[in-house]
Amino acid sequence: MKISYQWLKEYVDLDASPEELAAGLTMSGSEVEAINDAGSDKVMSLEITSNRPDCLNMLGLAREASAVFDRELKVPDVRPFEGVPAEKGQAVDCVIENTELCPKYTARVISDVKIKEAGEKIRKRLEALGLRPVNNAVDVTNFCLMELGQPLHAFDLDKLKGGKIIVREARKGEKIVTIDEEERELEPGMLVIADGERSVAIAGVMGGIDTEVTARTRNILLESAYFDPVSVRRTARKLGLSSDSSYRFERGVDKGMIKGASDRAAALIVEEAGGRVRGFYETGPLSAEENVIEFDTEKAGKILGVVLEKEWVKHIFQRLDMTVTDSEGSRMSVRVPTFREDLEKEIDLIEEAARIFGYDKIPATIPEISPVVERKVYARQVSEKLLEDLVALGLSEIVTYSLISEASSNRFPGLVKAPVTLSNPLSEEQKVMTPHLLDGMLKTISWNINRKNKDLRLFETGKVYSELGKGKGYGEVPALCIGLTGIARRNWMEGKRNESFYDLKGIIEDIFSGLRITPEFTSIHIDGIAPCAGIKIQGEEETIGFLGQATKEILNEYDIEQDVFLCQLKPGRIFERAVLENRYHTIPRFPFSIRDVSILCEESLRAGDISRIIAEEGEELIKSIDLVDIYKGKKIPKGKKSLTYSIQYGLDTRTLREEEIEALHSSVKDALAKNLGVTFR
Amino acid sequence: MNDLSNIEKIKKDFEETLKKCKDVLHLESIKTEYLGRKGRLTRTLRSISALPAKQKAEVGKKANILKNEFTGKIKELSAKLAAAEVAGKKEETDVTLPGIRPDTGRLHPLTVTLSRINEIFISLGFNIAEGPEIETEFYNFESLNIPLDHPSRDAFDTFYIDGKYLLRSHTSNVQIHIMQNQKPPIQAIMPGRVFRPDAVDASHSFMFHQVEGLMVDRGIRFSDLKGVLELFCRSMFGKDIKMRLRPHFFPFTEPSAEVDISCIICGGNGCRVCKGNGWLEILGAGMVNPKVFEAVGYDPEEYTGFAFGMGVERIAMLLYGIEDIRFFFENDIRFLRQFI
Repeated sequence: MKISYQWLKEYVDLDASPEELAAGLTMSGSEVEAINDAGSDKVMSLEITSNRPDCLNMLGLAREASAVFDRELKVPDVRPFEGVPAEKGQAVDCVIENTELCPKYTARVISDVKIKEAGEKIRKRLEALGLRPVNNAVDVTNFCLMELGQPLHAFDLDKLKGGKIIVREARKGEKIVTIDEEERELEPGMLVIADGERSVAIAGVMGGIDTEVTARTRNILLESAYFDPVSVRRTARKLGLSSDSSYRFERGVDKGMIKGASDRAAALIVEEAGGRVRGFYETGPLSAEENVIEFDTEKAGKILGVVLEKEWVKHIFQRLDMTVTDSEGSRMSVRVPTFREDLEKEIDLIEEAARIFGYDKIPATIPEISPVVERKVYARQVSEKLLEDLVALGLSEIVTYSLISEASSNRFPGLVKAPVTLSNPLSEEQKVMTPHLLDGMLKTISWNINRKNKDLRLFETGKVYSELGKGKGYGEVPALCIGLTGIARRNWMEGKRNESFYDLKGIIEDIFSGLRITPEFTSIHIDGIAPCAGIKIQGEEETIGFLGQATKEILNEYDIEQDVFLCQLKPGRIFERAVLENRYHTIPRFPFSIRDVSILCEESLRAGDISRIIAEEGEELIKSIDLVDIYKGKKIPKGKKSLTYSIQYGLDTRTLREEEIEALHSSVKDALAKNLGVTFR
Repeated sequence: MNDLSNIEKIKKDFEETLKKCKDVLHLESIKTEYLGRKGRLTRTLRSISALPAKQKAEVGKKANILKNEFTGKIKELSAKLAAAEVAGKKEETDVTLPGIRPDTGRLHPLTVTLSRINEIFISLGFNIAEGPEIETEFYNFESLNIPLDHPSRDAFDTFYIDGKYLLRSHTSNVQIHIMQNQKPPIQAIMPGRVFRPDAVDASHSFMFHQVEGLMVDRGIRFSDLKGVLELFCRSMFGKDIKMRLRPHFFPFTEPSAEVDISCIICGGNGCRVCKGNGWLEILGAGMVNPKVFEAVGYDPEEYTGFAFGMGVERIAMLLYGIEDIRFFFENDIRFLRQFI
């Protein structure tokens, strides 16, 4: 909304400079976004919130200024305009077919006008607000729109066929060329103004070119009406056509100004174009009711946290054109004008008092807080610890889009069960709520490698989404994704080493151990990941995720030419099972003893089986089993490998004797030989 | 052997050996060889008692002199070698070589920013709650007094999944879930991801993050909202920051306000970031509209409350001077590494 400073001053005596006016309007809720020079005038651009259609005109903002600066408001002359009776051929028959979409329609005929350029004053006012002058009749309707906020339309009466105005829904396939010379196809549900034969305007949105007022027009039909806001909004949106009229109708025009605006415009047209006003036709059930709200100054003060003076409040409400009737004590009855339909309840009047009083004058207080023990739910506490641990392990956090393309989503078909697809996506690239975090991770890795950031340890904690089944709604569950690629460690002392499956596995083992739960790993198959290990919480059935290496085919999709190791898991169960409370364990009082054993075995033998046999044989006497070396090559026969374990033996109640340890170590070796057929080096 | 010539030989051997000695360990063994319990000189001294009286005095004297001499020389050399060793080690460690740094990761700037926001509100007695991103019309709109086909929806263009479900366009939906599930007092903040069909550019994203706040109890006032937000702004942006509330419209609050802080770049004098007016809009807020209380079954005559909402990206961009919202989702490691 634009306003002219000079024009505004016609309606209110202001001493305030344009800057002061802008500040006053901004701090009372009509935000002035810019002030621009327009010759000797200043034009301000305002953001008017959707609840204040009354501020979409000069008079409305003058009223605001009158309250903010406490100055008298001077309302323009909207006295009923007495016309002369219509003559034969100039009578109009107005019919509303759908009074829900058009609860009020008024028309008046102005005959024998001379259409020419409008007077300088009107032209200048319109130009200041960025409107292009057309001719005196059209300019008057626009002038009244800007002054009073009521959209008006002038038809060339002689081009209306059948001496009729019918307000009806458009027929299927009906077409109209609007005054912007565009042909528009209409449909039922859209309201039109029609004559005896065809539609001549899209109600509240735009007039038709066939009946517009031109230099040859002699007689005018002036429309002033109230159209249903929802209907105008839907129509304007469907047609992709927003006008100054539709903008106001969809926010709701002043039901009390429909005739007043017509009177004002008729008087101005006669002034500008001569002619005679003949009659006033009015139809439709709409009546402008004034809402009465009980207001309690004391209660308002309590809600705002400030002491309000009743007399001051009354005065301000009157400045805002409300009618106040005093009641007992701090109470009053407030009759709200028709242009303030946003004021429905007492709380709305409290806001009125507050915004004119000034939010800046309300003190800042601290409320009494309610004691709550758990500020964060357990899952959040675990999740925050997880984040800290991952960062401590050298991983950096990423945040990727939850919306991805269908193609990206389907790159891991095993992870896509029932995808959540948008019905109105912005583009194909953002169509599916992501069912896995792998696409975001691989895109991020690709983006970085393309920028020569080749060594990456990344993680993301986000959500993955799926449909729960027809009619059962949609699921969104937390997910953790880890991606490793490039060089794991490089320095001048130790040289360099690439990231591996085992680096990733170690990270997972470490974060699990930090949460005091034990993971289990088993070989599983997932398309796009090979090798791939499923991750379980020890003792549970369900796999909660996987880790592995992205296949070449997958990496090709992302133009990645180096190894990438990926993990995704759904930490829901982890959040439940994790133990954050830390209990102290007694430090062993008796020393443990370490024995190494080098095993020679088939290359295919799995390390997990070896450590399991050791653990089973030694039971609680074994305190730790560490694999310290794997060796293949010289001195090792082909097809074999050598694994060296360092085993810690001990007892909590006393020191184990040398003979006991030797006996135990021998029995461990015997068990390995017997169960796995290994030999020792 | 003549005992005197034996002593001479010991002296000669000692001096030659000592000349060759280059380190402390070798010196120790020399010391043992000559002066140890079974050392050559020690043995000579012990054998003196067996000598004739005339020789006893002469050899004894010489041997004792020699013992003192050896002890002195060893001590001297030991000090020299120790000094040399220190000097030598200094040369081996090039203090200008880069240290071997352990690898550390970084949290995403949005997480860092959100943690800061969370911690401030936790210190003010708020707890943290979350709610669904896939939501129904009721929670995203109707219960919040945003009717269908109303211009107040213009600010909330929305992604739809089907006729019933949509992607929430703000975190205000969580307010409703909380109020449906518990009675006042309520004091919670609700961080989360939101979606709006905005074409992506430097300042728009179809996905971003918000933090919603809600406090409901008997006797909560607009001035309390102001106090809490002022504390927040000063904790977040610095104690000298100024805050102002401007009347605004949100369907779910009444009275409503937009919250500005004095520009953290120019201090309020006007610059490019604040578009010259000295203020930066960072929050929307207001008193919970009684219509919202009615929608969740609270008695608006009994309870009052305030709510507020802010964009995490917006706050992070201001805090760190980030000029493009897309940087958050590109995740360039050179960007991510900058935030602690």
